[in-house]
Amino acid sequence: MNNQITELLYVARDPAWAPWAVTYFFLIGLSYAATALSLPGVAFASPRWREASRMALLGAVITGVAAPVALLSDLGNPGRFLNFYLHPQATSWMSWGAFFLPVYVAALLFYGWAALARDLREASEKGGLFAPLRRLLGAPERPALVRLLGIVAALAAVPVALYTGVEVMVAKARPLWGTSLLPFQFAATAFVGAAGMALILERLVGAADPASERKLARVLVAALVATIVVGALWFAIALFAPSSVEGRALAQVAKSPVWRVNAVWLAAAVLVPLVLVLVRPVGLGWVAGLLALNAAWMFRWTIFMGGQNIPKTGAGWYSHPLELGPEGLLGIVGTAGLVLLITIVLTTLVDWSRFAAEPAPAPRAARIGG
Amino acid sequence: MDRSRRDIFGIFGSITAGAQAAMAAPAPAKPDAPQRAPHWAMVVDVGKCIGCQACTMACIMENAVPENSFRTFVSTYEVETEAGTHNYMLPRLCNHCDNPPCTPVCPVGATWKEPDGIVVVDADRCVACGYCVQACPYDARFINRQTRTADKCTFCAHRVHAGLLPACVETCVGGSRIFGDLNDPQSEVSRILKARKDEVRVLKPEENTRPQVYYLGLDPRFEGRVDGAPTLWRPSEARG
Repeated sequence: MNNQITELLYVARDPAWAPWAVTYFFLIGLSYAATALSLPGVAFASPRWREASRMALLGAVITGVAAPVALLSDLGNPGRFLNFYLHPQATSWMSWGAFFLPVYVAALLFYGWAALARDLREASEKGGLFAPLRRLLGAPERPALVRLLGIVAALAAVPVALYTGVEVMVAKARPLWGTSLLPFQFAATAFVGAAGMALILERLVGAADPASERKLARVLVAALVATIVVGALWFAIALFAPSSVEGRALAQVAKSPVWRVNAVWLAAAVLVPLVLVLVRPVGLGWVAGLLALNAAWMFRWTIFMGGQNIPKTGAGWYSHPLELGPEGLLGIVGTAGLVLLITIVLTTLVDWSRFAAEPAPAPRAARIGG
Repeated sequence: MDRSRRDIFGIFGSITAGAQAAMAAPAPAKPDAPQRAPHWAMVVDVGKCIGCQACTMACIMENAVPENSFRTFVSTYEVETEAGTHNYMLPRLCNHCDNPPCTPVCPVGATWKEPDGIVVVDADRCVACGYCVQACPYDARFINRQTRTADKCTFCAHRVHAGLLPACVETCVGGSRIFGDLNDPQSEVSRILKARKDEVRVLKPEENTRPQVYYLGLDPRFEGRVDGAPTLWRPSEARG
C-alpha cells in the first residue's frame, strides 16, 4: 500500500450479488456433481455403487429443486424472470444459463422419477396416507429408461457446470474472478460438496453401509486432491506471472489481513476433511461430509462475497456485514429450510435405505457359473 | 453543445442556467448539410476540479438518485510528495465505453450503446441480476434500491436530447467537465483532444474498453485501482 496516498472520500458500492448467489452456486454445484455420482449405481446399476449412487441421486434432486429458488431470489426484479425467455441474448452466459438450468432440472426430475418408480409402486401397496400419490407416481422398473434418462440428465448437467463457471470467469473486471481456472475450481469443489452431501445422507437416511461410505470417501479424496491441484496451479501462476489475471488478483488481496484469514480457512477447509477421510475412511464419514460441504460453501462465499469486497477503483477494501434480512442471513436460513422440506418430502415418499435389507446382487459371471 | 461552465462565465460574466442552455444548444443544421450522428464524450480537466461535489449533487437532484447511491462523484485523495501535501480530486462517472463490457453480459438485452455513444439502461426490461454491475471495471453501475434496476450515468441523455448539457457539466464550478460531440471537429472536446493529445488519458486503458470520458492531468497512479490508505468516509456504511 502506498502510504503517500490517503483516500479521503470514496463511495462503497453495495454487493450486486447477494448471498443468494452463493446459495445458488452452492446448491446447483452440489446437484450437477451429485447427478454425475448417481450414474454408476442408479443409471448403470453397478452393484458396488448402488447405495452410494442412490444417496447421490437423493442429494441431486434435493439441491436441484432448491437451487432455482435461490437464483430467482437473487434477482432484484424476480417477477420479470420471463424477460430471460422473451429477450434471450447470445452474448450473455447468464442468458444461456436461463435455458440450460430448466432443461437440467427437468431431466433430473424425470431421471429421479424413473429411478424411483419401482420403489413408489412397492410402497403404495403397503397403504398409508401417501398411497394414492405413490400409486400415481409408481411404475414398473425400467432399467433401460433409467439408463437413458440418467445419461440425458448427466449431459444436461454439463452445460450447467460450464455456464456457472464461465459466467463468473468472463467478468474480467474482477481479477479474482477472471481466471480461466475458475470453472475447474467450481467443478472440483462441487464434487467435494456432492460427495460430502452423499456421506451425510448415507448416515441420515441411507443404509449406513460401510462399503458405500468407503466408496464415497474415495470420491471425496479425489475431489479434494483435484481442488488442491487446481488451487496450487492458480497460486503458481499468480506467483510466477505477476501480470497475469491470477497475479493481479493475488496482488489485490495479499496485503489484506482478512484475506490472509480467508486463505488459511480455505486451506484448512480442504486439508482437514482430506486428512480425516484418509485416516478414517469409514465411521466418521458424516463429519467429513460436513467439512466437505463447508469447503464447497466457503469457496463460493470467498469468491463471491469476498470478491465484491475488493473495490475496482478505490483503495483498501469494502466491508459489508452480512445483512440479517432476506438479502442475507434470513435468505440462507430460509433456503436451508427449503432443503430440509424437500428432504422430508422425498424421504417420506420413498424408503431410501431399502438396499440395507437386500443383499447386493451377485456379479453376472457368478450367476452364470452358479 | 460543447462548452464548460468556465467558458460561459468567461464570455458572459454571469448567466442563468436556462440562458446557458439556450446558448449551448447545438446550432440547427443547414438544409443542405449532411446529417451526422453525434458521438458524445466528456473531457475532465482534473486540474480544474476543486472537489466541491456540486456535480454529485446536481446529478442526484436531476436524476432522482436514491440516498447513498451515486451516478457520479468526486473521489478525493490526499497525496504526500517531497514538495508537500496536496489534495487530488478525481471525478468519476460511467465512461460510456466504445467497447463496453457491461452490455454484452446483460441476459435480457436491457442495456446497450446508443448510436450517439451513450450507454443506456432500459429500466422497464432490467431484471436487476447485477451482471452488468460486476462486468463494469469502473464501479460505475449499481443496483438502484428504489427502482430495483441497474442504474448508471446516462450523460443526462434526457437533457442532451433536449439540447441541454448534462447536469454535472452545467453545474461544474471549476469548469472541469467539458461535454461535446466528437464527430464535430469544431467542438471543444474535439479541439482539446487534438490539441492536448499527449496529455489525454483514460481510466484503466489496459481493459481495452475505449472509454469516452477523457482526462487531462490524470496522475497515472489514479488510472486504475488506487494503491493508497483506505477511505475515511463511506456513505454506504452510514445507512441505518
